[in-house]
Amino acid sequence: MQNNISLDRLKIGDTVKIQTIDSLEIPAKFFELGFYPGSLIEIKHKAPFGGPICVNIIENNSLIAIRKSEAKLITVEKI
Amino acid sequence: MKNPNIVLLGNPNVGKTSLFNRLTKLNQKVGNYPGITVEKREGTLKAHNKTYHIIDLPGTYTLFPNSLDEEIVFQILSDKNNPYHPDLTLVVAEPATIKRSIILYQQARELGIPAIFVINMMDEIESKGMQIDIQKLEVYLKTKVYKTNARTGKGIDELVAAFPQSPVTYFGNFQIPATYSAALDEAKRIFPLATEYLTWQYLAQERISSLTAEQQKALEEIRTKHQLNIHEMQKLESQIRHDAITEDLKPIIQKAENKKLNNTSKIDRILLHPILGYIIFFGLLFVIFQAIFAWSGPLMDWIDGLFADITEKLDAALPDGPLASLFIYGIVAGVGGIVIFLPQIVILFLFLSLMEESGYMSRVVFLMDRWLKPFGLNGKSVIPLMSGAACAIPAVMSARNIENPKERLLTMLVTPFMTCSARLPIYIVIIGLVIPETSVLGFNLQGMVLFAMYLLGIIGALGSAWILNKVIKSVRSSYLIFELPTYKAPDWKNVLTNVWDKASGFLWDAGKIILMISIVLWVLGNFGPNDKFYKADEYVTAMKPNLEEEQFDKEVASYKLEHSFLGYLGMGIEPFVRPLGYDWKMGIGLISSFAAREVFVGTMAVVYSLGDEVDIEDDGQKRSLLDKMRSEINANTGKPAYNMASGISLLLFYAFAMQCMATIGVVRKETGSWKWTLIQTLFMTGLAYVAALIAYQLLK
Repeated sequence: MQNNISLDRLKIGDTVKIQTIDSLEIPAKFFELGFYPGSLIEIKHKAPFGGPICVNIIENNSLIAIRKSEAKLITVEKI
Repeated sequence: MKNPNIVLLGNPNVGKTSLFNRLTKLNQKVGNYPGITVEKREGTLKAHNKTYHIIDLPGTYTLFPNSLDEEIVFQILSDKNNPYHPDLTLVVAEPATIKRSIILYQQARELGIPAIFVINMMDEIESKGMQIDIQKLEVYLKTKVYKTNARTGKGIDELVAAFPQSPVTYFGNFQIPATYSAALDEAKRIFPLATEYLTWQYLAQERISSLTAEQQKALEEIRTKHQLNIHEMQKLESQIRHDAITEDLKPIIQKAENKKLNNTSKIDRILLHPILGYIIFFGLLFVIFQAIFAWSGPLMDWIDGLFADITEKLDAALPDGPLASLFIYGIVAGVGGIVIFLPQIVILFLFLSLMEESGYMSRVVFLMDRWLKPFGLNGKSVIPLMSGAACAIPAVMSARNIENPKERLLTMLVTPFMTCSARLPIYIVIIGLVIPETSVLGFNLQGMVLFAMYLLGIIGALGSAWILNKVIKSVRSSYLIFELPTYKAPDWKNVLTNVWDKASGFLWDAGKIILMISIVLWVLGNFGPNDKFYKADEYVTAMKPNLEEEQFDKEVASYKLEHSFLGYLGMGIEPFVRPLGYDWKMGIGLISSFAAREVFVGTMAVVYSLGDEVDIEDDGQKRSLLDKMRSEINANTGKPAYNMASGISLLLFYAFAMQCMATIGVVRKETGSWKWTLIQTLFMTGLAYVAALIAYQLLK
């Protein structure tokens, strides 16, 4: 499907639904802070030169930042 | 009966600390949990004819620990023998992220912990456009729900009134998936008394320090046998709970558009801007350092003058003699030397806690991660590194919220390179002695050298991190995840208590060492191993029989110092420091400043006032330490002891050397390893020695 894309490739302002979180290495803390399969998120800020990405977890209305390297492992569906 | 423990549990940024301050009315103290340096905040509250012991746990999102802070939380809650184990837990939530708090609440209840639910920041329900049906929530959570606003104090009395009640028994929401039941049954046999959920927690965590080695081994065997992946188990629980809560809360909580986040977004558009954001951050850093130097000046002068007055008055009032001399020039002057840092420490921590309280600190982490990652550090390393500019001790401690063990270790190893406030007086004295007071391109040269010293600290820290990053192998992959809280006006009570804790902690901890060193130094300087010290006048008369009285007294004094314990100690290390351009008197300064860098200046005062004691009396005038040091001649070279070459060499030595016993102690505690502590000490001191050696040999 064309609509599936990894989180790090999104633009600021994109609102997407998380589909899968890939690696076993990703700690449970990602879930606890709101990165569940099915969660709606909006890309809010990106630090320059491949720095962290800040997203809004829409259901909690909270801003969470993760590194690009972990964002690569999160597949999302554009809506 | 022992005082009941009331424990505050909750996510970061829910106003838990404000609530704690309200409950304890500042009857509180900050210390460390035994054995590790996780900050422990505890206090007391008198109510219902009892004294309650209130404990503010470190903020945590879940009971599954990711960092040292969170490990403590699990230990206290899971281990009934822990002295802080709660008699009642207050699970503190805030409206927007209430789901996360409910998960934490359920986890605590299912461990078997009595808990009530507190929604703090109630004022935000409206501004966040939410509606919460409290009655339905109480039924759902099987507990009373208390509403507070810790900033205004609303709802606190009602909460305190609830302390005597014990919550109804609780049955779990979380059904452990059937695929794990075989493994769980085996684990239950190890822990016959634990609740089912606690057993599950044991099974789903990598290492639980409160368990015995056999229990851990047994758990590990079960995990291997059933091929359990702890990350999977934790994620599964998280997902199951989340899905259930989302469904269950639908009739209880209504949400509308979030107004609060809109404001935060607007501010973030500026503060997190790819260019503007950095300009503002570095601008702020500049302001902070300006403030530390400019604002503290008058206060420091005032303290300086105050202690000079006290010393003078005491000198006049007390009878002459060794004890009076110890008291005035050992103890009082030593205390003065530490109190003088207070203005700078207060200003720095004022800014740091304002940044923390307002929510800006996480933005700094966001902006800086990209630039620290290549050095093997983490955005969160910014906080220890910045605090290192005040004092390495709290700074090393603040590294504990870095989850990745390697990044945490690196941060702790390099933080002591940062120019701490204790090095400042050394720099100021030496720069004042050897750098001419001229302007270059309109800038004060001395100021520029001082700035260069700070840069050198940063370069030392990052450079060493880069090297160590190549050497140390990482066990776990590095990750970073953190919340950027909404911007809030700082709670002044929190800011002020935080500043007070840090400042008084510094004053007390450093003060103890200074005092000890002052006394030891005084003793070493006033006693000698043989009668060359005690019968100095006879020896001097024998060597130089025809001296005039004034000259004779000087000779006796310096002969005495040379043959005191201190003199022998200084001469003992002279062969090592001579290539760096130091004489034995400076050697004494180096030795004593190992106890704490700030001792250097004080020691120099003791060393030279001992040497010039007669001089001062004869001339009937007091000269400042600077004048004394300027006129000092290095006996090895015949040149002034503090010239450009030895001055620069000394500056470099202090820039890199691990010259602080207390920091070594903290690093040992925090890393839990003598190996890394020794490597750090040797690495830093070796680097300092080589840098100072090269500088002196080139410049002399």
